[in-house]
Amino acid sequence: MLVNSVRSALRFSRRWRPCAGATPPAFIAILLQGCSGAQNSLDPASRSAALIANLWWGMLVIGTVIMIGVLIALFIGLGRGWGGTERPLSSRGSFLLVVAGGVVTPMLVIMAMVIVGVSVGREIATRPQSGPIVEVIGRLWWWELRYLDGDGEVIATTANEMHIPVGQPVRLRLTSENVIHSFWAPQLQGKTDLIPGQVNESWIEAERAGVYRGQCSEYCGVQHALMSFIVVAEPLEEFERWLSLQAEPATEPSSDETRRGQQVFLEQGCAGCHTIRSVSEVGEIGPDLTHLAGRRTLAAATVPNTKGHLGGWISDPQRIKPGNKMPSTVMEPADLQALLAFLGSLE
Amino acid sequence: MSVIEPPRQGEIVTRTPEELDRLSSTWESPGGLIGWFMPVNQRVIGRRFVLTAFVFFFLAGALAVLMRIQLMRPENDFLSPDLYNQFFTVHGTAMMFLFAIPVMEGIAIYIVPMMVGTRDMAFPRLNAFGYYVYLIGGAVFFGSLLFNIAPAAGWFNYVPLAGIEYSPGLGVGIWTTMITFIEVSALTAAVELIVTILKLRAPGMSLNRMPLFVWSALVTAFMIVFAMPAIIAASSLLVMDRQIGTHIFTPETGGQPLLWQHLFWFFGHPEVYIILMPALGIISTIIPVFTQRPIFGYTALVLSLVATGFIGFGLWVHHMFATGLPQLGMSFFMAASAMIAIPQGIQVFCWIASMWGARMRFDTPLLYVLGFFVIFVVGGISGVMVAVIPFDLQVHDTFFLVAHFHYVLIGGAVFPLIGGMYYWYPKMFGRMMDERLGKISFWLAFIGFNVTFFPMHQLGLQGMPRRIYTYLEELGWGDLNLLATMGSFILAAGFLLSLFNALWSLWRGAPAGEDPWGSPTLEWATPSPPPNYNHAHIPIVSGRYPLWDRRGEESSPVVVGLRDDRREVLVTTVLDAEPHAVAVMPAPTIWPFISAVAASTGFLGILYHPSFFLVGFFGAAATFTMWFWPRRPWRDD
Amino acid sequence: MHSHAGYDARELTRFAHKTHPLWWGILGVVTIEATVVASLIASYFYLRMDAEAWPPPGVDPPGLLFPTINLVLLVTSSGTMYWAGWGINRENKLVLTLGTSASVALASLVLVLRGIELSDLGFLWNSHPYGSIVWTMMGFHFVHVVSAIIGTAVVAFLAGIGYFTRERQLGVVVDTLYWYFVAGIWIPLYLVLCWAPRVL
Repeated sequence: MLVNSVRSALRFSRRWRPCAGATPPAFIAILLQGCSGAQNSLDPASRSAALIANLWWGMLVIGTVIMIGVLIALFIGLGRGWGGTERPLSSRGSFLLVVAGGVVTPMLVIMAMVIVGVSVGREIATRPQSGPIVEVIGRLWWWELRYLDGDGEVIATTANEMHIPVGQPVRLRLTSENVIHSFWAPQLQGKTDLIPGQVNESWIEAERAGVYRGQCSEYCGVQHALMSFIVVAEPLEEFERWLSLQAEPATEPSSDETRRGQQVFLEQGCAGCHTIRSVSEVGEIGPDLTHLAGRRTLAAATVPNTKGHLGGWISDPQRIKPGNKMPSTVMEPADLQALLAFLGSLE
Repeated sequence: MSVIEPPRQGEIVTRTPEELDRLSSTWESPGGLIGWFMPVNQRVIGRRFVLTAFVFFFLAGALAVLMRIQLMRPENDFLSPDLYNQFFTVHGTAMMFLFAIPVMEGIAIYIVPMMVGTRDMAFPRLNAFGYYVYLIGGAVFFGSLLFNIAPAAGWFNYVPLAGIEYSPGLGVGIWTTMITFIEVSALTAAVELIVTILKLRAPGMSLNRMPLFVWSALVTAFMIVFAMPAIIAASSLLVMDRQIGTHIFTPETGGQPLLWQHLFWFFGHPEVYIILMPALGIISTIIPVFTQRPIFGYTALVLSLVATGFIGFGLWVHHMFATGLPQLGMSFFMAASAMIAIPQGIQVFCWIASMWGARMRFDTPLLYVLGFFVIFVVGGISGVMVAVIPFDLQVHDTFFLVAHFHYVLIGGAVFPLIGGMYYWYPKMFGRMMDERLGKISFWLAFIGFNVTFFPMHQLGLQGMPRRIYTYLEELGWGDLNLLATMGSFILAAGFLLSLFNALWSLWRGAPAGEDPWGSPTLEWATPSPPPNYNHAHIPIVSGRYPLWDRRGEESSPVVVGLRDDRREVLVTTVLDAEPHAVAVMPAPTIWPFISAVAASTGFLGILYHPSFFLVGFFGAAATFTMWFWPRRPWRDD
Repeated sequence: MHSHAGYDARELTRFAHKTHPLWWGILGVVTIEATVVASLIASYFYLRMDAEAWPPPGVDPPGLLFPTINLVLLVTSSGTMYWAGWGINRENKLVLTLGTSASVALASLVLVLRGIELSDLGFLWNSHPYGSIVWTMMGFHFVHVVSAIIGTAVVAFLAGIGYFTRERQLGVVVDTLYWYFVAGIWIPLYLVLCWAPRVL
């Protein structure tokens, strides 16, 4: 096993790349822009993340200076004794060294850090009073996203792919129905936990359009590692168009094959876990598939949403995400093709 | 102090070989198979603690290397997710509960009584009980891995994930019961250390003359006493939630998952300092030996230890910045967390001042201490960084944190610990460890450590969360992970070389003699390895560096009048160490072992049926009674 | 290096009580247990803080009668323990035996009343979080009373066969210390369990 691991360390992945997904041409430029580090907190795309990144750079400089200072003191001290003669500091000298290095310096640094920390903290914690509201619900192991209107009514439900308008704050209400998760899109905002029994609030605002990746950052069980999501920041009109599409029920199957696919969906038990609005609305364990075809990824941002991956996922989901809640479904090839066609029609 | 002022023309006392034989047989531990379960002497128990802890260290370290292999490239399938999750849970838990605390307590149990000039711990049988509890608990916990039923909810075992609904099966049950059980061991050792240090010091060793290692053991023990009950309460509540259906932590019925986090971190944060503190004491011990002059700032160092002990209890919320607590309260914890840098800064600069311009021997123990300086300062700086809330919201639960706490725990605790092992090994086994192997092992460990953990800072900033068994290639984390894995091989090689050195030196090491390093503290006034009774006479102390104070003297004052035919030790006052009584220590017995078996049957049985609580409770009560039962003839002097 | 006699320990007592390490050890145990109690009380109020109603609607907090009687009994039993120690200080082995036995009897009565009280609570540990924490705190104290009874029964037995003397009474002293703790810790638990829901 070890040999295999080493041997294939350089092998290229066949998986999804955030910038190479099947997307409408209008998005290509935007996507490329957001590509320099899909989940990198040092490549901020929001004011909050930029403030924190700057805080980091500032602290890094101070920390490096302190580190070098301590090492210089240590090496000078050791060097003074090199060669066999004792040259200790006077007790007054030692006292001054300890006071300067051990009391004054840390005190100044702490004061600076607390002051900056509190002011940055206040800035990023000040929640906007307007903007779309998204309820983020941690599931095992994917993200349910519900867009709410001003009265708290659900406009649309989707999963693992959050669309937001560029330059507008989006309010997040975070909760969980099982274990604790943590919502973290590093380029946009620090993390906030999703805790069952309480609703935490956070917000994000992208300054530029792009696709930002995030993932669960509180250990939540066997598939914590692949519980990811993407945030698509797009111009307001596009966002509104997207949202109103999401609010629609599923498109009616228009061909024999897609009609057959819908039958397969119901017969094979898919509907036990998945909801497709206007087809079957009982499933609650898996993501809402009403507009599956419009999503960029499958399996919580693990593989790209292509026909091939979707087929592979349905046939053997445990290979891609071992331990996840979706069972393998064995069916006739023709049925699978029909099902894929049906799901592919759910724009 | 007038009572113990040595008479100027004190009578010269010498021990005849017959007297020493009698003393030795009085303090002897029984042999044979049954005898293995009977000894109560502090050095036997301390050595067992240390050896057992190192067994767990290497096992848990092996798990770490396996995890590094899994992460060395994206989308690796070397370990299944479930196995990986078991591994990091067992790795973290074992390193914290089965290695770090027991090894530090083991060293303290071994060294402190000799350092303060007495013959045993205050409660020798409790000491033995604590060891068996630890051995059984640790073995069961680690054994669960062999049956693939190990807990997989992480070392902080957050509910609801650790609740019965999301972690059915035995794993988390074993975690909660065995951790509670092992904490009992830590608590017994803590109480004993406190009482030994406060009541059994040699005459004249007033608090302000106590060696700094003893101070660090004292502060550690007090922290354990106030921190561990919180986790015992928490894990007992979790056991009840899991086994008898209480609703403390279950949100769907009104329980509070965050309560677990408060209780856990009220223990968990001091825990970090509990592990760090003895290491600081080891550094303060090693530096004066290798500079051959007193340490600078004794009082400042003591006050720093005490201050760290207090502040350590005010920081727990900084593990919960992302849980949505009120901003204002969190700012308080941010300031408190950063404040801990002051006592740490004072200590670091006291040590630098102590080493300033000294002629030093750069032997292995000192190298490990110097390695500490580099690594610990990095860890301290990143620690102040993560105390800043907005930054913590980005790096919390990422590899940045993994890097930070390994810098603090390996650099801050394990490096001085290994230095301390090189330093005290000759006392324990009578032979020196090999210097050349020691130096090579240091450089391997130092380089390996930094290559492993430094890149993790960057990985965390790039968005890599901790506790993930794999990651997608597109995220670009592969190269740094590969580097970290390579580093972990070097680090492991460094530690294994020290292990080899220790084993090889048992037979081949140069004989050490009484005091190979020219040390100032009392444990070096005994032969190496020390006889059953430690000191032939209880010494009398008149300064902070008793062995140095004696240099050039003809004769040193000792206590006479303790009986040789039973285990007598001197009891002294808390502040000034003036003698005021003699305590008679209990002899070897098998009852502590039987008590530990009875208690562990109860603790484990709870997982099978709650009624096993009664078995454990009454079993322990009965065996405790036997253990304390007075044996005829009753003493009547 | 020679050694010379600097201090002669021959005359020191071998029968220390309150300066004996064991006394300090029991103090350590008491500190640990008190910290556990503090954790439980903190948990009680934490659960209460986030609960909509505490106790839950339709649930009454534990009645006042039996817990108050228990409080009186426990205080009284501490008095009999003190009396027992007073006796052995005067080499009166009968008082020691009677005092410790009386304490055991009083504490056993506490257990009986506690048993009745628990069965009358009207809720179980698995009814709701309130029930869980109340049962835990009551059960925690119950178990401690049982351990104090076992320890003191052993002391009473040893007193009966004449083991303890004025000098050799360390066992009595440390058992009494633990007894005071077990009796005394009921006071905060009593206030939290019985009065906090009514007053706060």
